[in-house]
Parts: sequence; structure tokens; C-alpha cells
Amino acid sequence: MDALVPLFDALLGALLLWLAWQSIFAADLFRAVVSFMIFGLLMALAWVRLEAPDIALAEAAIGAGVTGALLLSALGRLPRERYAEAAQHILSHSYWLLFWAPVVLLAWFLWSLEAAPPSPPGLGEMVAIHQPAAGVDNPVTAVLLAFRALDTLLEIGVLLLGSLAIWSLGPSPWSTGPAMPSPALPAMARALFPAFVLVSVYLLWRGSHAPGGAFPAGAVMGAGGVLMLLAGARPWLTGGEQGPWRWLLTLGLGTMLVVASVTQFAGYVFFQYPSDWSGRLITLLELAAGLSIALLLFALYLGGQPPVRWRDRGWQ
Amino acid sequence: MFEIYVIASLLLMVNILVGLARVLKGPTAADRMLAAEMFATSAVVILLLLATVSGEESLVDVALVFALLSAVTVVTFVSRFWIAGDSGKDRRAGGDS
Repeated sequence: MDALVPLFDALLGALLLWLAWQSIFAADLFRAVVSFMIFGLLMALAWVRLEAPDIALAEAAIGAGVTGALLLSALGRLPRERYAEAAQHILSHSYWLLFWAPVVLLAWFLWSLEAAPPSPPGLGEMVAIHQPAAGVDNPVTAVLLAFRALDTLLEIGVLLLGSLAIWSLGPSPWSTGPAMPSPALPAMARALFPAFVLVSVYLLWRGSHAPGGAFPAGAVMGAGGVLMLLAGARPWLTGGEQGPWRWLLTLGLGTMLVVASVTQFAGYVFFQYPSDWSGRLITLLELAAGLSIALLLFALYLGGQPPVRWRDRGWQ
Repeated sequence: MFEIYVIASLLLMVNILVGLARVLKGPTAADRMLAAEMFATSAVVILLLLATVSGEESLVDVALVFALLSAVTVVTFVSRFWIAGDSGKDRRAGGDS
């Protein structure tokens, strides 16, 4: 058994390298996209083997859900002729330099690694000491929403900026897309969507004491929205200026900014929570951020501004 | 007792390695997509086995997320990519490379 676990890890690492190679240099684009999706799948397994279940969950939620859907949809919009032409890659010397430089660096790094494992770097011990003050049991959530909440604020800001930039490019290409004729898709989406909502809420709730939280929860919910859109549902998110969606898109960023600023009036510094309220404030922020992230990822998938009125495709 | 789980997850990993041949050879896009879906199922099982071996409960959540989201990928494939082109072109684009 002791020999089997390193064998598993070695096989996983070799497959990851091979898939990374395939997703860059595969002869046709579809094979590259499929390789990239499998790469994400095995990357999550690698994070599990590195004992980082939080990152594995985030990789699973974002990599397997919205990324795969985005890449396949983008590929579906490419004209087939261009898609076949893209098979001929011409590699310049700079490409090879870009490829070999990290490989050489990695080899040097592995070679210079000492036999004994180094002491864990970073701030893990400090987080463990101060975690009771944050009011949550999961150290990752404590870091994300209490100790380094400013980073999370900026991340959500980047997501909001990204969807704003995409919406400014033009109307969404999916608003007039062909409806799927198969009756199986709406039925499947109807059956699966409650499970997406349930898992999303569950992950949000888990976030306070175990791996989970706003990002995976939002990603699962956003993927659920994408599933409903693909099945032909008329999305609730519209491009009209009236309606609650603009508020909901900015809800995560707004709530974080309000919480960060309001505590200043009570004599705390920016983003310092009153210690009695810390747990409840973090739950509130997770809820707002999760909702916003779900809508933002769905908005990113739309690839443009949604129409003011979605065309009715038979069922809602 | 746990040894059998480790052997099983190793076998599933070898299974993925063998299945990559289908991704490489195709010949159609649907073959490649189905191989990827098979890997998603294998990854779910590997995660559940690892969760049992390591006693880490959160790995079950990762498996749950995988199981749900692989449906989104295959639905995207069917409704946005596969239908978009006829299968003849698909075969040519995928097979001769």
C-alpha cells in the first residue's frame, strides 16, 4: 500500500502534464477544450492530494461548471472552416522559450529541494491563534472574509468590472439563438435545477465551519442558471434599466463596502468587525457575495448585454 | 481494509489513462465528450474513495459538485456545439488530425 500512493500521485502528475500539453498544442480546438476540461478535473484531484480541499472545491465549481460551458459555447460559435484551419499551429521560437523556461525552473527547484520537508511557511499559525476572534470555525473563511476581507472585496470588484466590460461589447449572442428542439433538455433542467439550488445553499452554509463558502456556492448557482438558459428557459436577468438585477449584481460589493465603512463610525478601523457581531456579519457578507457571484458568473456567460425582453421560447 | 480503496482508485486512474486514447483518436467530437464525461464519473468515484481513506468529509462535497456540474458541460455540448454542425463535418474536423 505504501508503494501504491506514490504510484497514484505519479500517474496523476504525468496525466496533468500530458493534458496541459494537449490543451495547448492539440491539433484541433475541440480536442484542446476537452483536454482542458479533463485537466481541470484532475487538477481538483491534485489539490485533494495536496490536502487543500477548499481549493479543490473552488476548482471543481469554477473549472467544471462555468469554464467548460463558456469554452464549448465559444467554440460552437466559431465558423467550422476557421475551426478546422486553426488546426495548424505555427510555433515560433518564443513559444518554445515560454514552454521550456518554466520546465527548467521547475527541474532546478525540484533538484534543490531538501530531503526533509521544510517547515510550513506562511501565516497558518497566526490564523490559528486569531481565529476565535473572527467568529467562524473554518480558517479559510476567516481569512477570506475577516483577516483579508479587502482582497475578497477587490476580487468581487474584478468580477463586476469583467461583466460590465463584457456587457459593453454588445448584445448577448444567446438572446436570438436557436431553441433546442429536444424535449429532454427542459425536463432534465427542471429536475436538476432544485439540486443546484440545494447544493449552493448547502455550500454557503458549510462555509462557516468547513470548506465551502460564497465562491463555490455562487459558481454552482451560476452553473444552474446556465443550465436553465441552455434548456430554453427565459432568464429573469434582463437588460432593462428597471428591475432589481442591477442592485443584485452589485449587492456583494456594496454590502462589503457598507459593512467596511459603517464600522468606522463606531470607532473601528476600515474592515474591522465588532467582535460580538463578527460571525453574523461574515454570514451576511457570504450571503450577499454568493448571490452576486452567481448572477455575475451567469452574466459573464451571456457574453454581452441581455435583451430588455427575452424572447419566449415556449416555457419559462 | 483501506488498501482495497487505494488499489481501486489507482485502477480508476489507469482507466483514465486508457480512456485518453478515445480523446486522442476520436473520431467524432461526441466520442471525445463522452470520454471526458467518463473521466468526470471516475473522478467522482476517486474522490469518494479518497474521502473514505482519509476521513476528510469535505471531499464528498467536491464529489457532489463534480457530479452536478458535469451535467452542465454535457448539456452545453449538446445544445451549443454538437447541434450547431452536421455530424459529417464533425467527423472530418475531428478525425483526420
